[in-house]
Amino acid sequence: MTTFVVRRLLQAVAALVLVSLLVFAFLWLLPGGAEQAMLSGAGSANQLRQLRHDYGLGNPAVLAYLSWLGQVLHGNLGYSYVENASVGSLLAASLPRTLALMVTATVIGLAVAIPAGLAQAMRRDAATDRVARALSYVGYGMPSFFLGSILILVFAVRLHWFGAEGPQSAGITGVLTDWRDMTLPVLTLAVATVAIFARYVRSAAIDSLAHDYVRTAKAVGSGNRRVMVRHVLRNSLIPVITLAGLAIPRILAGALVVESLFNIQGIGWRLWQAAQKHDFPVLLGFILVIGAGAVAGSLLADVGYMLADPRIRRRER
Amino acid sequence: MTITLKKYRWSDGETVSAKDVVFWMNMLTAVSRVSSSSINWGGYVPHEFPSNVLSATAISPYKVRLVIKGSFSRQWFTDNELSQITPIPLAWDVTERGKSDCAVRITNCIAVFKYLDAQSKSTSSWVGSKLWSVVDGAWQLTGLNSQGQLTFSYNKKYSGPVPPAHIATFKELPFTSEEAEYNVLAAGGRNPLDVGYLPTVNAPVPPPGRSVGANPVHGYRLQPLYQWGLSYFPYNFSSSNPQLAIINQVYFRHALQLLENQAAIIQGPLHGYGHVSTGPVGSFPRTSYLSPEALKGDPYPYDPVVARQLLADHGWTVNTTGVTVCHHPGTGPTDCGKGVRAGAQMKFTLYYATGETWLESAMLQLKSNAAQIGIEIDLIPKTFDGVLGVVENGPGCPAGGCPWELADWGVGWSYVPDYLPTGDELFQTGSFGNTGLYSNPVNDNLIRQTLHNSNVHLMWHWEDYLTKQLPVVYQPDAPAALVESIDSLHIGIQNPTLAINPEDWYFIR
Repeated sequence: MTTFVVRRLLQAVAALVLVSLLVFAFLWLLPGGAEQAMLSGAGSANQLRQLRHDYGLGNPAVLAYLSWLGQVLHGNLGYSYVENASVGSLLAASLPRTLALMVTATVIGLAVAIPAGLAQAMRRDAATDRVARALSYVGYGMPSFFLGSILILVFAVRLHWFGAEGPQSAGITGVLTDWRDMTLPVLTLAVATVAIFARYVRSAAIDSLAHDYVRTAKAVGSGNRRVMVRHVLRNSLIPVITLAGLAIPRILAGALVVESLFNIQGIGWRLWQAAQKHDFPVLLGFILVIGAGAVAGSLLADVGYMLADPRIRRRER
Repeated sequence: MTITLKKYRWSDGETVSAKDVVFWMNMLTAVSRVSSSSINWGGYVPHEFPSNVLSATAISPYKVRLVIKGSFSRQWFTDNELSQITPIPLAWDVTERGKSDCAVRITNCIAVFKYLDAQSKSTSSWVGSKLWSVVDGAWQLTGLNSQGQLTFSYNKKYSGPVPPAHIATFKELPFTSEEAEYNVLAAGGRNPLDVGYLPTVNAPVPPPGRSVGANPVHGYRLQPLYQWGLSYFPYNFSSSNPQLAIINQVYFRHALQLLENQAAIIQGPLHGYGHVSTGPVGSFPRTSYLSPEALKGDPYPYDPVVARQLLADHGWTVNTTGVTVCHHPGTGPTDCGKGVRAGAQMKFTLYYATGETWLESAMLQLKSNAAQIGIEIDLIPKTFDGVLGVVENGPGCPAGGCPWELADWGVGWSYVPDYLPTGDELFQTGSFGNTGLYSNPVNDNLIRQTLHNSNVHLMWHWEDYLTKQLPVVYQPDAPAALVESIDSLHIGIQNPTLAINPEDWYFIR
């Protein structure tokens, strides 16, 4: 187990170095040169000096990379000359909102999708399964801007049950406790999560139900509930763990459409703004963090995969 | 000229004095001298403010004497030159080393300017800043959070006139999209917006003869707000523009203007809100500056047939399924015109600002209309800042090719703080606002006459001349905003300078 984790950690570090190299290469190869592109050709002498210092520009590429990496490791992701703010402060303002929104939606989505998928597998091809499958197709295929707009129109404009925008509190506690404003954006995002994960869980559970160990468990008198929880659920979670791990970069990258529709200045919206304004320091800083999240997600998925599947543990020994 | 100040006070208790005016004049003079491109002064026009002021002296606490170089129309000098004066507090006459004396010595002003400029970029220090908290207006910034929400509190030392029951604080809320704002406006709920903006796309078309349509938001009053300005987009007259020879031809500009279907844009994407621009003077509100010709309406109503004929009559082979090509080069009346070579193609790049739905539709419509007679327009969407950034950095074309022939940021020009629409800031050779580098000695001379004589016929003469010259493409004057104010709040008539004055707002019981 320890060897496996150490090996995966080393691989993760190598992947992180690769991500940082790629981001730096983008920076180095920006059209018109890094300095001009990052200052939009209109920076002052002081800004130029600061930029050269931050990014080690003017040095050979290897030295510049090491200098930039040193800054990043010290928490300095650069400075946005468009926003007149450090990339770190912009990240700090956006990331908690995005995490609160995306993590809540994913957790709620999984909490609904897993039992729903198992229930569908148990009643395969029954009317409830068919209805659930149809709903999952609809949920999967419905664009989030459409679903979000409908939810706003019905529950915010007509019924006044929930707010028409996401939580606007400055602190994360305020965001998480503002259930009235949190409900509609979370619901908009959770519908797609439920649709995707329920289909995977159903498929994996149907596969598990056909295995000999399930038939044996039933033959020795284990109840349906015990069979589903102890044998089917555990095996059905393996693809879910993989998917959940891979969802981490998506969680970090935010949801542009939902953030834009619900007035949430999250990572997705901020990235889109930066792309439109050619705000390269923000783009690169955020991409670096999302890339690191992808590596961490992959690592967590591997560990979770091993915990869920004893065969992998044995193989890794 | 002697100016007498009203007796107002800064929030730090100091009087708004003649020295504050001289401080500003010195600063303006310094930044105009230091930068040959005048990039530090957006209202710069050669030979105008501050170049036409020999000296500015505080002769008493409330009197400033300006010695003017030359003689000017009283109306123009008051409306367009003196109107720019913005007293700044002596508390701002500082550098990082401490107190300075830009208010006395112009040579010290650049250091002060650089210090203030740097401080202005430190957004995190705005609230509670010793500099920016000194105001003579009604509001002080008391809050700015990481989401960009601004809180303003009433300046208790404000010495201007206000209604007795005016509001005490107001917040400006950021929105990620106009849809998000509309949703919040329509939903109302616990904390409804007191004032918001209705996206044009959500506005029902006003019935015939009415300027405002039904309001889709209940409990609010809808008020379209039009800017006192001119709606247009410039051609790139840079000498390094390879298409300059075509752009220089008045018949070509005439043809393109005939393809700009202002009436259809107003009725379509603008949902009936907007006014036709008739020439170089803003057409709304209707002022005495509009010539009798301009009052007749659109001089170039949509007409692709005439546009096509104009090109055909000037030596172009009009290709309705491809690109129109010059086949009669030369300078004769039926030739393509000076500098246009045989085989030259009607191909142009147009930068336009994204974010305004009506503008994107208008651009697509122009491209489609132009394609009918073989004028190929390559539309390049950019952010509002992106279009202005390119245009204001000068329309010169780099070696790799000319990036644009036309550029539309959507809102044209605001006649603020130069209220008289004489055209010197927009169309005179060398003006900062003349972003397309249009240059025409006849036009310059006609503009000059309007600066020296208040006779409105001189302005009409210039206006009618430039309407025919078409130095820009005139486009519909879209509303700056469709303002929604909650029924319980009195906000009065909205200001066409686009300033908001919440000190005049009060709740009605």
